[in-house]
Amino acid sequence: MRPENYEAQRHPPSNEFELNFGPNHPGIEGNYALKVKLHGDVVVEAKADGGYLHRGFEKLMEQRLWIQNIALVPRICVPDPSPMEVCYAVAVEELCGLEVPQRAQWLRVMQLELSRIAAHLFTFGGHAATTGMYSTMYWGVADRDLILDLFEEFTGGRVYSIYNIPGGVRRELPDGFLQRVSETLDYIESRLPDYDNLFFKNQVFVKRAKGTGVMSQEQALAWGVTGPNLRATGLAFDVRRDDPYLVYDQLDFEIPTEAHGDAWSRTLVRRLELVESIRILRQVVAALPDIAGPIRAPIPNPLAWNVPAGEVYTRVESSKGELCYFVVSDGGPKPYRVHVRGPSSMHAVQVLEKMSVGSRIEDIAQTMFSLDACPPEVDR
Amino acid sequence: MSQELTHWLDDLLEEIEGIKIRRKSSRRVRADVPADALPALLELLQGRAGYIHLSAISCVDWIEDDEFELVYHVWSYESHSLVSAHIRIAREPGVYLSVYDLYQPAGFFERDIHEMYGIHFEGSPNMEKFILTEWDGPPPMRKEFDSEAYVNEHLNWQEYNPPWLQELIAEGGGVIIPPEEQRFSRKKD
Repeated sequence: MRPENYEAQRHPPSNEFELNFGPNHPGIEGNYALKVKLHGDVVVEAKADGGYLHRGFEKLMEQRLWIQNIALVPRICVPDPSPMEVCYAVAVEELCGLEVPQRAQWLRVMQLELSRIAAHLFTFGGHAATTGMYSTMYWGVADRDLILDLFEEFTGGRVYSIYNIPGGVRRELPDGFLQRVSETLDYIESRLPDYDNLFFKNQVFVKRAKGTGVMSQEQALAWGVTGPNLRATGLAFDVRRDDPYLVYDQLDFEIPTEAHGDAWSRTLVRRLELVESIRILRQVVAALPDIAGPIRAPIPNPLAWNVPAGEVYTRVESSKGELCYFVVSDGGPKPYRVHVRGPSSMHAVQVLEKMSVGSRIEDIAQTMFSLDACPPEVDR
Repeated sequence: MSQELTHWLDDLLEEIEGIKIRRKSSRRVRADVPADALPALLELLQGRAGYIHLSAISCVDWIEDDEFELVYHVWSYESHSLVSAHIRIAREPGVYLSVYDLYQPAGFFERDIHEMYGIHFEGSPNMEKFILTEWDGPPPMRKEFDSEAYVNEHLNWQEYNPPWLQELIAEGGGVIIPPEEQRFSRKKD
C-alpha cells in the first residue's frame, strides 16, 4: 500500500557499491575497518579506518612517572607486548646512562623470543582461519597457551608481563624454569611437522595464498615496510642483526627470506622464524646458568626519579617489524614526550590501502592477516 | 659504521647551510637544521647517502619556547645508521612542508601529527582524521590540553560498588588461594 505521492528514489546507474569491512568482522585483525568501494567483487578504492582502539597512551605517558609507564606500554600491542616493555626500558636506560647487567640482558632476550613465538603462533591461527582452516587456529592458540604458562611462571603475567624495569628485570628465574622452557621448546619443535602438514603444505592454503597480495621489494622499501613482510620480498634486514640491541650480537641465528612477496611468502617467513627463535632460545637456555650476577642495576628512588634531559630513539625487532620509541626528557619526573612507532602503522594503513586496490573482496582478509597487522599499535 | 664512511657522511652533510651534527653513538647521528633546509637535507641523505627508509616523524610540543620540534628519523640499509634530523617551527600558525614526495611513509606520520598537534603539512596527500574521527576539541597532544581537566569537566565519575564487592569488603577483602591449589607454585620435587 504505497502512499499516493510515492515516487521511487532514483540513483544514477552505477555498478559500484560501498562496503564497510569491519570494525567487527572475522576477516579483520582486531577492531579495525576498511571502507572499500567495489565494482562487482573487485576493490576499486580502500580507506583504512582506525581509532577503535585508541587509548591515548602517548598522552597518558606524559602524565605518569617514568617507572609507572612500564605498566602501560605492553598494552599498546596485545598479541606481542614484550618488545614494547623492552624498547621503553632501553630508552630510559640510555637517557640515564644505566649499564644493564649481562644476566638481565639475556633474560630479556628470552622474554622477547618467547613472545615472538607466541605472536607468530597466534598469527598463523588467524591467517589459517581466513581460508576456513579452523584446526590450525585451535592448535596455534593452544600451543601459544603453553608459552603463556611459561610467562605466568616467569614474570607473573600471562599476557602483559610487565617484567622489565629501567635498569634490568624484576624477577629471578623460578627453580627448574630453564628445564621447563627446554621441554616446551622440544614440544613446539615436535609440532612443526604437524603444522606443516596441516597448514603450510596444505594445498588449500598454498593455492589460496600464492600470488595473493603481492608486494615487490621496491614497493616494500618505498612504503616503509619492515619485519617479516620486508623479508618476504627478499631483503634480509632484521634490527636484531643490523642495529643490534641487548646481546643479539652474541647469538647465532639466520634471517630467513623469501623472494615472492605474496601472502604465502610472508607466512612462510614467519614459519621459518619460529625455528630461528627456538634456536636463539636454546642458546639462551644453555648460556644462562653460567651468567651470574645481579638482574638489575641500582636505580634511584623510582617515585622521585628525575631522568636527565635528552632524547633517544630506540628500536627493537618485534614480531611485526621495526618497533621504535622516541623518548624526550626535560629532566623531570615524567617523560616530556614519548612517540611510539608501531610497525603496523605502515603495513596496516597506507600499504593495506594500496594493496587492496585491484584485489577481490575475498582477498582482503588474506592480505591483512598475511601482513600481520596489529591495529592497537596503530591507534595507540 | 666504518671510520671512512663517517667522514664521508660528515663531508656530505656540510653542504647544508646552518647544520649542526652530533654523533651520539656509532649508529645514531643527530642533525639540527633550520626548517627551510630540511627538504634539501633529506634529499641529500636519500639520494646520495642511501638513507631510503623513513622510520618515523616525531613531534614535540615545546610550549615554553612557543615552538614545535619535528624529528625525521631516516635509516640507511647500507651503512646501518640512523640520522635524526631535528627542526623547529613556530607554534603559530603551525605549518610545514610535506616530505611525502621523498618518503611515502611520511603520509601516515604527517596525518597523525596533524590530528594530534594540529600542524598542517602542505602537500601531504591526506590530512583527514584517522583516529579521532568523532573528536572536535583541540588537538589533544598539545601541551595546553589537560586531559584530566577535560574529563572532570565533561564526564561523570561512576560509583562502582556491586553487591559481591560489598560482601568481599565486609569479609575483610581479598581472596586466598592455598599453595596446593595455585597452578604455578611448582617447586623442585
